[in-house]
Amino acid sequence: MSKYRVVGNSHPGLSVAEIATGRGRYTDDWKLPGMVYGMILRSPFAHAIVKSIDTSEAESVPGVLKILLPWDVPSKRYNCSGNPPSPLLIQDEPILTDHPLHMGDRIAAVAATSRKACREALMQLKVEYEELKPVFDVMKALEKDAPLLHPEIGGSNLVKTMEAAEGNINTGFEESDYIFEEIYETPAIQNVSLEPNGCICDASVPGKMTVISTSQTPFQERRILADLMGLSENNVRIIKPFMGGGFGERQQLHSQPVAALLSRATGRPVKIIHSREEQMTASVVRHSTRIRMKMGVAKEGLIRAMQVEAWYNTGAYATHGPIVVAAGSRKTNYRIPHYEFKGHCVYTNGPVSGAVRGYGNPQITFARESMLNMVAQKLGMDPIALRLKNHVQTGDRLPGTDHPLLSCAVNSCVEKGETLRKAIEEEDMKNNGQQGLSHPEKKAWGVAFCCHTSGPSNREGMSSSIVMVNDDGSVNLLMGSADIGQGSETVLAQIAAEGLGIGLEEISVTAADTATTPYDTGTFASSQTYVGGNAVALAVEDVKKKMIQRLSEIRKLPPSDITFENGRFTVSGPEGLEHLTLKDATKQITFGAGGSIIAGSSSYKAVEAPPPFAVCWAQVAVDMKTLSVRLLNIIEAVDVGNPVNPEKVKAQVHGGVSMGVGYAMMEEIQVDQRTGKQISSDLLHYQTPLSRDMPGIHVCLAEGWEPSGPFGAKSVGELATVPVAAAITNAIAQATGTAITRIPITDAFRPAASPWPKRAATESPAVTSEKEGV
Amino acid sequence: MREIRIEINGSNYTSRISDNLTLLDFIREEAGMSGTKRGCDSGHCGSCTVLLEGRPVYACITLAIQAEGKKVTTVEGLEGDAAGQLHYIQQAFIDHYGIQCGFCTPGMLMVAAALLEEKPLPETEDIKAAISGNLCRCTGYTNIVHSIRMAAEDKLKQEGGDE
Repeated sequence: MSKYRVVGNSHPGLSVAEIATGRGRYTDDWKLPGMVYGMILRSPFAHAIVKSIDTSEAESVPGVLKILLPWDVPSKRYNCSGNPPSPLLIQDEPILTDHPLHMGDRIAAVAATSRKACREALMQLKVEYEELKPVFDVMKALEKDAPLLHPEIGGSNLVKTMEAAEGNINTGFEESDYIFEEIYETPAIQNVSLEPNGCICDASVPGKMTVISTSQTPFQERRILADLMGLSENNVRIIKPFMGGGFGERQQLHSQPVAALLSRATGRPVKIIHSREEQMTASVVRHSTRIRMKMGVAKEGLIRAMQVEAWYNTGAYATHGPIVVAAGSRKTNYRIPHYEFKGHCVYTNGPVSGAVRGYGNPQITFARESMLNMVAQKLGMDPIALRLKNHVQTGDRLPGTDHPLLSCAVNSCVEKGETLRKAIEEEDMKNNGQQGLSHPEKKAWGVAFCCHTSGPSNREGMSSSIVMVNDDGSVNLLMGSADIGQGSETVLAQIAAEGLGIGLEEISVTAADTATTPYDTGTFASSQTYVGGNAVALAVEDVKKKMIQRLSEIRKLPPSDITFENGRFTVSGPEGLEHLTLKDATKQITFGAGGSIIAGSSSYKAVEAPPPFAVCWAQVAVDMKTLSVRLLNIIEAVDVGNPVNPEKVKAQVHGGVSMGVGYAMMEEIQVDQRTGKQISSDLLHYQTPLSRDMPGIHVCLAEGWEPSGPFGAKSVGELATVPVAAAITNAIAQATGTAITRIPITDAFRPAASPWPKRAATESPAVTSEKEGV
Repeated sequence: MREIRIEINGSNYTSRISDNLTLLDFIREEAGMSGTKRGCDSGHCGSCTVLLEGRPVYACITLAIQAEGKKVTTVEGLEGDAAGQLHYIQQAFIDHYGIQCGFCTPGMLMVAAALLEEKPLPETEDIKAAISGNLCRCTGYTNIVHSIRMAAEDKLKQEGGDE
């Protein structure tokens, strides 16, 4: 039972009825008067020069209004990242280019009265390319004779090296009894939000622009577009509609600059919705990495030193590559006196990398947690005991960071998760451990620990909130932070309702319309509950303070005679105590003498970014003959502080686990090295977990409390994905005796015939029958 | 171009279309209903699933002319017993946290509706098989499978109680 009225109690979400009935309007569901469509011609080559473009036939396609070529658009380069301004955000991206640097790079754009006319015009654009030598491998990209992607930026493909250190790494290795060293590799993966990126830009009124777009960062989008279009920010309005997932996908601008230029050129609102192929080839992927991990351990199991050198493949443009790399350096959840991190962010002609759930952390966690398994084995220690022996606790710091932790409930995570694991084992033993097992399968468990962050770990997170109390005492909560499907609007409304002593149904949230809501850095770094939640809590306090002030003026009493506790005002007047609900007080203030509106506001700069913690167990069954792997169970125990909405926290973990399953087992953006073409260009050639791929998922919520969080809360969103891959591969290693250093495991473990079932889409009885007809 | 008629959610929609227009475009553009979502336009993700004569199909790889004169049900056509009431599967998705971003939800609901019509109390494996052509990136399918199962159980309980 929660000690609060609203916080700590689950609610399915403020907008679920709209979604369930199909009334939620996502970007592609909007139509503006006079609206036309835009499409983008993309490079079929990973590296080329555009020699010429013949537009004559495309122009004659009926319905075509405008064709934009690389030399028609401002030559100004920008950075598509939705992070707040930083010198690390190198501006290397052109709006359209005659020197494509990756397959999917934007060459030309067309606006037409129908999607069909756009498609036809794109087919009729005759582009003459000269193919250039591409480079896809980070190590090759750093060689002297590698093709240079951005000569305008520097003499090498190294974007930046980000470093972090603690103690003295050499001392650490000298103090160690054992040294472990290994190279780990992780793949580029795609967010695969179900809704493709899209936008509608309306610049038809000169000097103004309105944008409806899939954006996690409306205020950064406003800043970048205002700059590109030469407008001041008051004349650019970004509206965030319903959004079909994000996971980092919309932390970069996608087609907005092109749509804005097409709209300005045609004087019509222009809608561009990505095809799935564009999603796969031209929206961001998770940085693939090569990680050299070296660990020094004393024989009693204390980690003395950890040295990481990592190469992050950022693809053709920097986006926020260096910030992703740096974020990875601040997520090690062990007390390590001697720590050194060097992360190289490297250009290649591969897909552009950017934000994907976990932001630089899943890669390092995979390497670190895999290595800790080797350590446990060598030392003959239990893998959990080894980790707990080294784990940070409240008051400690994460290596490479300077703020002491105010909370860490990892012990509670282990306790709850182990209890659950034993229950699963016992149930299994009743069936002699053979339940669901076919010969010659072998079962095993693996474990991995991790931490993440609540808000940007560079402490740049900022959120603001306005609480408007309507004259009937109901509340409009205005937030600049975008709900992208994870339910942040609901969580923020719960925090407001709790503080104001009203019901959740009395609050409406407007989240992210730059014309009406206050600035927020954006929906990333798992910020919403913690950074946004603190902003809401502060705005609520501001409202109460203002209402007490007004009540004191009306009653001619000192403000100190009025308090707000347990959801009501208490006035100690000459006639004794009087209690007022928010409703009663509002009536008196709004309609009483003097009359005034009631609005509280706040800004919260996240000076802390408290890490949430997770412990993940995976149980697998490995066929010892074919080495095919089946996932049986995944348990994830999370310390998210005090969960504001426990069921939604669990739901976040479910989804996080499935992305981790994909990362470990099957997902990888593959590029054919010979032709330079990206093979994973649709959802047939890029597999994400389907219902039948998922094991049983079990979630435990630790008993946690974060003193700096709103009602004790930390974050959950990204955390849930981070430890899963290593837990799975550690389980496989346990079963097979082979350490796994590369994910997805499909390659390393693929026998002659693929162990994976054919994509289940074709197995759906309903669809099969239809296929016969098509 | 030819004129065709499709019955969507009980109302007739007549339109002059080209033969290669998909059922998804007919529903979204000709009939103006946006509840059915376009996730991939190539028959891989299941977001556009609708019922054609009661059977789930991917509207993005079904031609509108294949539905000529037939009955199509979309998410807008799901309704409860009383006016303004949600369909019991919609209610179960809400009650059991089966909805996150919601982009896969209309497709999932349509598959679930067809499944429960055919099999009133499906096992977990039946449900997983039924939705295995529908991609979801938010839920790990956990609460979707649970919502469908609970919808079935609640419905049976309710019907049992009515007798």
